[in-house]
Formats: sequence, structure tokens, C-alpha cells
Amino acid sequence: MGKISYMRLKGSQNLRLRLLLSTLSTTPILIEDIRADATWPGLRPHEVSLLRLLEKISDDCVVEINETGTKLKYKPGIVIGGRHLVHDCGTSRAIGYFLEPLIVLGLFGKKALSIRLKGITNDSKDPSVDTFRSTTLPMLKQFGIPPEGLDLKIQSCGVPPHGGGEVILSIPIVQDSLKAITWIDEGMVKRIRGVTFSTKVSVQFENTMIHAARGIFNRLLPDVHIFTDHKAGEQAGKSPGYGISLFAETTSGCFISADTAVSYGREDDEGELDDEKKELSPPGDIGEKIASALLGEIEQGGVVDSTHQGLLFLLCALCPQDVSKVRVGKLSPYGIEVLRHIRDFLGVKFVIKPDPSTETVILKCVGCGLKNLSRKDN
Amino acid sequence: LSERTALRHNINLMQLVYGKPASKSSNEMKDTSEEESEDDEFFKPKGEGNKKSKEGVNDNDVDIDDCSKFLSNGSIKDWKSEDLIASIRDRFVTGDWSK
Repeated sequence: MGKISYMRLKGSQNLRLRLLLSTLSTTPILIEDIRADATWPGLRPHEVSLLRLLEKISDDCVVEINETGTKLKYKPGIVIGGRHLVHDCGTSRAIGYFLEPLIVLGLFGKKALSIRLKGITNDSKDPSVDTFRSTTLPMLKQFGIPPEGLDLKIQSCGVPPHGGGEVILSIPIVQDSLKAITWIDEGMVKRIRGVTFSTKVSVQFENTMIHAARGIFNRLLPDVHIFTDHKAGEQAGKSPGYGISLFAETTSGCFISADTAVSYGREDDEGELDDEKKELSPPGDIGEKIASALLGEIEQGGVVDSTHQGLLFLLCALCPQDVSKVRVGKLSPYGIEVLRHIRDFLGVKFVIKPDPSTETVILKCVGCGLKNLSRKDN
Repeated sequence: LSERTALRHNINLMQLVYGKPASKSSNEMKDTSEEESEDDEFFKPKGEGNKKSKEGVNDNDVDIDDCSKFLSNGSIKDWKSEDLIASIRDRFVTGDWSK
């Protein structure tokens, strides 16, 4: 066995992105100084869980972590995929954290992926599973991914701190490669849809959220429908909470989303202890806040919302060697990180041009031409 | 003039994301761009200092949470005001199409 040359990285930031791009570009990485100076040094439980998940879906992948967890060696394997996999995502981050890399990896697997993920379905940090269903999955279709076999089933809801939610994700593989896109027409908003959920609290919380959200939209658009999804019994997970996920569909088929959830904080999260230990925000405020956030995203005028910028850029970079052109609103900090990492791992650099007339940003790139090589091994 | 500002803005965005043109993505250039570059922090053998100078929101927090969700806390506008509603009315099918 030859000596493996590792790409050397430092720090804990963007671990998810690094692992994902490392796997896609088959670049082994060595990360040092992972929270070396922190009170609790090393990898967090959700990061370890993500590594375990990568091991689960790929073959010949090697993960080495030193004793304190401050140093990580990762040699990517071939993404295999497969059916009836199960993974416990733990309760330190929501399932959304795992879904984001997983949907991209699943596309470039050997076999279609279907996996049951357990943990927290909705929280305030990661996109909720409802948003994944409504916004993220339709986005993949723009890149020529067949809608058959692309699905996210929500079995039960779970909010922090104890989770208890469960979803089943199915991702088809791309037959050869993605399809380069020109996607600059954001269109006009024709309808707003959404869903609220509540676990172990009164269903009245949902009605209040919907009422407040509708109040914001009423003067703009009549076509607003927000559904309730009250979970009871087994389906309600282990902790009380409620939340809302909204999306706007435009005439050109773009989806703009905003979501959040409220629940009692995780005990181990020192940072958030102060805000979340007190009473939960009233549902009326939440409904209004998310409706406002959605209008804020619509105002930006991109083809995706700021949460999905990273995924959009990544998919563009993975396209065949054709020009992709997309329009987004203000670049989000995470989007910028994704752009930097794409350049480092895939060597794809975007041409970024502001469009002053609409205050949006146009990004163009030539994809790296990633082919689904694992599939060809069959 | 507007063209010029547009051009300048254009470069700024590229720089904001990818760093100064001189530092590009090549690893050899890392010594010259030590102080100001906001990219390449991953390749540096002793990269502690430069992370601080990284532009953008994640300033000097190398251990920031890995979130794609953009939480614009505080910047949420009051969407009940008539002016704001008028400003995005044309983003909806119910808006004025004649413009």
C-alpha cells in the first residue's frame, strides 16, 4: 500500500463540508487542532455520528481519531448506498445536519440509498425535515435528478432535548452525471404553503402560529395555505415543542423557505442555556417571525433562499463541464464557505457578479465534471 | 460611473469570497498573503493568526457551529408596515405587472 498524501486542514469549522467534499473528490484529509483550546476539546457527538454515518454508507473508508478527538484522519471510500440502513443521529444536532451532506453523497453512490434516520427532526439550528420535503428535494430536480425514488418520509417528530423523531430518506443515484443549469429566473411568488407541527403541546399552538403568519401575508397574496400536523402518542417523540415551516413557490418553479421550531434547550448546550431556559417564545411571535423571515428571503430575489445557497453552489460545481449560471440574493456566510471549499477541493472557481438592477448576485461556473464512478464498477 | 462602481463591486465580491487576486488558490503564494488573505487558511502550517482576519460573519470564531441555516436575528424587518409591503409587492403574482 502506497503512502497516502493527506490534505492538511486545521480547526473544527465546516467539518461537514470538508468530509463531504473529501468524499466526492476522493481526497484524504487530515484535520488537526479540532477545538484544541476549548474546555471540551475534540469532536462533538454529532460530528462523530456523521463520521459513523459515512462509514455506514461507504466501503473502504478509514476514519482515525486521536485520543482527545482533536486530530482526525479521514480517507474516503466508495459510496455504496443500499437499502434499509439505520442511523441514530443522536440529539446534539438535528437530522437536517446529516441530511445536507447525505443527499449529495447518495446521488453519487453505487446503489440507491434508503436510510432511516433517528433523532431530532425539527430545531432552530438546522433546516427542518418539512423544509427538506418542500424545498430541498424539488431543488434537486432542477439538476436532472429523477423524482422517482427521491423521497423523505416523516415517521415521527422529535424536538430537542430528547428527540425521538424518525425519518426515512430515499435518494436515487445519478445515472451518469448531473445536468448543468441556467437558473436565473426567480419568477414571482404565486403561492405560499407551509406546515406547522406540535408535539406534546396543545394543537391550539399551531392555530395561533398560522393565524399570526397569515396576518403578515394577507395583504400580499390570497393563496396561502398552512396545514397543521399535530403529533400524538408514539409519533410525538420525547420532548414538547412546536414549530413552523413555510415556503413560497414562484411562477418559475423556485422554492423559497423559512422554518423554525421551539422547544426547551439541550442541557449540554452552554451557549444557549441563557435564552432557552426561560419560557418558550409564544407561538404568535414565532408565526410572525417566520412569516417575516420568508418575506425577507423573497425580497432578496434569488432562485433559492439563503439556507440553500451552499447546496446550490455545490451541485453547480459537480455538474459536467458546462457552464452553470444561477442567481441568488445576498451571499450567506455559509454560502461563501462553500464556495471557498469548492475551490480548494474541486478546483472550481465561480465568477461572481452582482446584478445592481435587482440587487442580486449572479454566479457562473464550469462544473468539475464529476461522474458517478461507483456505479460503473457494477 | 455606474459601470465603474459595478465593476468595482464585482471585484470586491470575488475578493470577498476568494481573497486577493494575488493569493489565488495556489499554495505557493501563501507566504505573501499571510496577513490579509481570507482564504487558504487550511493549508498553512501555522495558520492561527490569519483566521482572525478572515472576512465575513464568522470572524475569529474558528469553532463556529456548522450551520447552513442563515439566522438573521435582529435584522428581521417589520413586515406590517405599508412601505415594506409595497417594496416587495412586485415579487408576487398579485403585483403590478405593467412595470
